[in-house]
Amino acid sequence: MNKIAVKVDDLTVAYNYKPVLWDIDLEIPEGVLMAIVGPNGAGKSTLIKSILGILKPIAGSVSIYGKSYKKQRSLVAYVPQKGSVDWDFPTTALDVVMMGTYGSLGWIKRPGIKEKKSALEALEKVGMLPFKNRQISQLSGGQQQRIFLARALVQNASIYFMDEPFQGVDATTEIAIINILKELRKANKTVIVVHHDLQTVPEYFDWVTFLNVKKIATGPVKDIFNDDNLTKTYGINYKVSIQE
Amino acid sequence: MSNAQIEIQLIACIVAIACAIPGTFLVLRKMAMISDAISHSILPGIVVGFFITQDLNSPLLILLAAFTGIITVVLVEYIQKTGLVKEDTAIGLVFPTLFSIGVILIAKNANDVHLDVDAVLLGELAFAPFDRLRISGVDVGPKSLWIIGSILLITLGLLIAFFKELKISTFDKGLAASLGFSPIIIHYGLMTVSSITTVGAFDAVGAILVVALMIAPAASAYLLTTDLKLMIIYSICFGVFSAISGYWLAHGLDASIAGSITTMLGILFLVIYLFAPNKGIIAILYREKQQRTEVSLLTFLLHLKNHKEIEERHVNHLNEHINWQKVRSKTVLDLALKNNMISIDKNIVSLTAKGDEFTSQAIDYIITNEDTQIEDMKDDFFLFRG
Repeated sequence: MNKIAVKVDDLTVAYNYKPVLWDIDLEIPEGVLMAIVGPNGAGKSTLIKSILGILKPIAGSVSIYGKSYKKQRSLVAYVPQKGSVDWDFPTTALDVVMMGTYGSLGWIKRPGIKEKKSALEALEKVGMLPFKNRQISQLSGGQQQRIFLARALVQNASIYFMDEPFQGVDATTEIAIINILKELRKANKTVIVVHHDLQTVPEYFDWVTFLNVKKIATGPVKDIFNDDNLTKTYGINYKVSIQE
Repeated sequence: MSNAQIEIQLIACIVAIACAIPGTFLVLRKMAMISDAISHSILPGIVVGFFITQDLNSPLLILLAAFTGIITVVLVEYIQKTGLVKEDTAIGLVFPTLFSIGVILIAKNANDVHLDVDAVLLGELAFAPFDRLRISGVDVGPKSLWIIGSILLITLGLLIAFFKELKISTFDKGLAASLGFSPIIIHYGLMTVSSITTVGAFDAVGAILVVALMIAPAASAYLLTTDLKLMIIYSICFGVFSAISGYWLAHGLDASIAGSITTMLGILFLVIYLFAPNKGIIAILYREKQQRTEVSLLTFLLHLKNHKEIEERHVNHLNEHINWQKVRSKTVLDLALKNNMISIDKNIVSLTAKGDEFTSQAIDYIITNEDTQIEDMKDDFFLFRG
């Protein structure tokens, strides 16, 4: 078994004293491309946000390569849901990607030529270089998602957390994104994706976590992506045909 | 111009700049109403501070009043967090309560306090030059100029030091938090600066104008630029412009300076709202009209592509066939001709090679919704600019 990249112990998170995640134990090995699946309100985004310290859990702990998140920030990149920001904000595509470099800069220090160069490289990688000076509201949904991906790539992290990166994107962008994610895995990076489309799980991912307030199952797709776990997670008699 | 006139304009300009900077971020964070709340609820802070210090310009009073501003924000957020009322309701509950406490405090002590509700709401810029700051007997200028000037310097220093942090936490709170830039610290930092600026400006321009100076220049700038730095610079320019032109308007009308500055801010916003190149009302109406025409053009080109028969392509028949009025048909025909998409020979319309290619591309785009192939068409056609 590989090294454990992310370890979650007894994590319980509540909104207004109502638990949305109950006692989650999770070990994510290094170098997997993992989907987190579950119905709406299952706590998928909450799980990611709690791992990243954006939400405070009421119990439990999280470690990234054996240390607390605060100490390992530079190893982690995060792609929030596209809808979580205001795309009318006065800024350009390049500027948004540059934000990915802010973490390594720390407080007060400004991004310089080096940061700009790596931002441009990331834009190139997601095929968005021609749009670098475009105002972000002038981009299509798929392009906005690519910008978010570029912003995460610029962080040059070991672990990537992505909250529904395929939401509202066209088919070409979806393929472009998944190819980049697969490349990251090849480079032994760990990629964790909140995912909605169950049909594409076996095709895109090699690891999966079923979540519905509690953790239902976690493991390699080929071992645990089956009707039994789907039914346990989604509550109804769920059948999908798994493409071999 | 007399010295007093210059001093009044100088104070008005510096107040305007000091307000425009936090105002830009309040507008972008959709927190414009919070500045209204702060400007009213600092009143009890000012009154209590005045009882203690007996000096409207004392730094202690400014800090006390700014603290009331922060309390307002905390209370609003606390009430909102219970989930029982929405944010605007919470704001509407908190600031009148605090404001009325201030009003009662003033009324109870009105006899021996040089402070009245009118001055609090509207301020009195005209009197600002009379209150002088003397350092060992030497007159160094109006007190309010020194106060608001110091506040502006601090604001500018903070803006330059924390521009990156302000930008990221305003645009994407989640990313800011995950990178270790605590959005809560930035949030309360901004609230503190807004409160201190409000208190500092309050004496000179009153509670209402402070709100106008924070929100109107930023809202105007927002319509003109897609660059955060430029937005701040524009806000500052608009604030200064309104301060000076408002002063002379008041001079000409023999009216309240604060009222005239606010009027100028309103007029400025209206002009930009109507005429801004991309986001203005007129630009939007024009764009919609163009988009309508271009949809018609596309419909027309598609019709030509689908019909090789001559009778379907006769100019006079087009009116009936696609069911348009004459004017619209003519606009569409002219547009197509201008772009070399059709040729007309003896009143028979044919697609040119360019028109044919354009139609295929456009239809492809509409069906597949793929954006890369129409990027170059975006410059020529409004239709594809979203």
